[in-house]
Amino acid sequence: MSIKASEISELIKERIEKFKSAAEARNVGTVVSVTDGIVRIYGLADARYGEMLEFAGNTFGLALNLEQDSVGAVILGDYEHISEGSEVKTTGRILEVPVGPELLGRVVDSLGIPIDGKGPVNAKLKSPLERVAPGVIFRRSVSQPVQTGLKAIDSMVPIGRGQRELIIGDRQTGKTALAVDTIINQKGTGIKCVYVAIGQKQSSIANVVRKLEEHGAMAHTIVVAASASTPAAMQYLAPYGGCAMGEYFMDNGEDALIVYDDLSKQAVAYRQIALLLRRPPGREAFPGDVFYLHSRLLERSARVNEQYVEKVTKGRVKGRTGSLTGLPIIETQAGDVTAFVPTNVISITDGQIFLETDLFNAGMRPAINAGISVSRVGGAAQTNIIKKLGGGVRLALAQFRELAAFSQFASDLDEATRKQLERGQRVTELMKQKQYSPMSVAEMALSLYAGNNGYFDKVDRRKVVETEAALQSFARSSYAELLKGINAKPDLTKDVEAGFKKCCDEFFATL
Amino acid sequence: MADRATIARPYAKAAFEHAREARSRDPQAFAKWSRALALAAQIVADARVAEIIKNPELTAAEHAGLIAGVAGAELDASMQNFVALLAENRRLTLLPEIAAHYEGLRAEVENTVDVEVISAVPLDASQAGKLERALAQRLKRTVRMHTSVDPALVGGALIRAGDLVIDGSLRGRLERLGTELTS
Repeated sequence: MSIKASEISELIKERIEKFKSAAEARNVGTVVSVTDGIVRIYGLADARYGEMLEFAGNTFGLALNLEQDSVGAVILGDYEHISEGSEVKTTGRILEVPVGPELLGRVVDSLGIPIDGKGPVNAKLKSPLERVAPGVIFRRSVSQPVQTGLKAIDSMVPIGRGQRELIIGDRQTGKTALAVDTIINQKGTGIKCVYVAIGQKQSSIANVVRKLEEHGAMAHTIVVAASASTPAAMQYLAPYGGCAMGEYFMDNGEDALIVYDDLSKQAVAYRQIALLLRRPPGREAFPGDVFYLHSRLLERSARVNEQYVEKVTKGRVKGRTGSLTGLPIIETQAGDVTAFVPTNVISITDGQIFLETDLFNAGMRPAINAGISVSRVGGAAQTNIIKKLGGGVRLALAQFRELAAFSQFASDLDEATRKQLERGQRVTELMKQKQYSPMSVAEMALSLYAGNNGYFDKVDRRKVVETEAALQSFARSSYAELLKGINAKPDLTKDVEAGFKKCCDEFFATL
Repeated sequence: MADRATIARPYAKAAFEHAREARSRDPQAFAKWSRALALAAQIVADARVAEIIKNPELTAAEHAGLIAGVAGAELDASMQNFVALLAENRRLTLLPEIAAHYEGLRAEVENTVDVEVISAVPLDASQAGKLERALAQRLKRTVRMHTSVDPALVGGALIRAGDLVIDGSLRGRLERLGTELTS
């Protein structure tokens, strides 16, 4: 079936008739210099800070430097066609991105323009990139969990809905893997995810998108990509765009999760823009407001109460709180967490997960250093059953670390110490988990129960991982009802405990 | 490394303040300073004079004397002092910017605005008059119109008043239609 030629001309005629052709009055300035994506403009006395400026060839820019005699703007896109002397107009608008459920499953750039070749987004709503975070009155404390599906995190550094938890570590320690596993585990929970890739290789972003598609996670995820080859301005704006998209769900009484991968590269892009705009460099050559760059972004991840949701939706949604959980990622150099940007972001977030290269290389994956990782929300964001069972894990690992130095002399120690060491080793082995294998609450609880109650103490240290896998598949086949019941109601009742005991006794008897 | 305009501003402001105070004695002070600055700017812009100003062998007094000599009776004593000051600070080349900024300050105080009207066909008297009244009402100032003709606009007119551009030309409408259809 082909399109009739008359249909096309009808459409065009309709658009021409709808075209309002009033003479427009605009503020116009002239380009004085174009360098490295920064444009100096003479005139434009009425330009406002952060206003969108229109250049020749339908290119847009952002007014970032308002000086006495000129305006410094950063171009959002290509700038080869902009020459000295060309005209610049103000638009009276601030930067906006499309928001809404139409974006789920799509890969877009910092301004919401699709880059996955699946056609236009057709979102009905637009939201400004920069917004003031919800005020103190409108917030509610974090009390619901975000299940990452990773034993190490859900038991020791649990994350709640509306919390900001920093994932920090050197390169190649599994930061992105952790975030992607969390996104995959949100399937079916009703939490919408936004993955913001800043300054990454396009091959890495493509990998992440493919993995999400393979595990059926793209349906509830928006990917905002500002890869390494995009202009610094787009890399600087990408997190704010993603945040605006996540805030849509928060404002509608739903829960959302946003991953910023990673904020170190955003700070570097911002540093580039600030230095080109001739702003004075501070510590590590970052501009003076690099703290504000991250704090205003992360403050927008929050849990808002029912009054806020009712007010924003104008009464359409009642009695529901909304949340936007933030998982910013920071890359450190050689484990130096005392550098400028890492210390800034650590002080902003509600806890951090430290990933260490030594642990990673020693086979401990996820390479979480449980000693210095912390979640300031803690138990308030854990299901009952994990809270009760997970407490033992932290303790065992803490005691194990104290004694770790003696592990070489294991044969010369007294019984109690040796038992502690062996328990610690087994718990450490239990905390290991394969990538893309999230566990449900029930499965996690089973492993923790078995570990806490010494079922693995008889098992050889090197066989703990495969034994655990066998235990899980045994429980899935023979105790499926028990697991289902726990997933529906995650409480450690007497029945559940008895069920666990029966399951473990039965399984470990076969070893 | 500041803008030329930023360096020119204090000089223009000083000249303007001086002229404003001089108005009590001489009501034509603003206009006289306008002419003097425009003339000095034109002299400095001339290629031969520009070469001489660049020459470091001559003293500041000689540079100033050259300009005053060419300008002749147009520059009174205070204006000659102004030129001498610029020569001492090696800022003679900024005279065009200084003159422009001075005009801006003067227009603010006298509540006038220079408006450039570019039309596709020449405006007749009644059209020009209507435009002037409409602009005066919108910009709330006395309008000084400068008209010119540019057939490339196809139809209508383009009005420039400082930074404000009102595009009522046919060419502009076609461009906007084009952008809208392709977006």
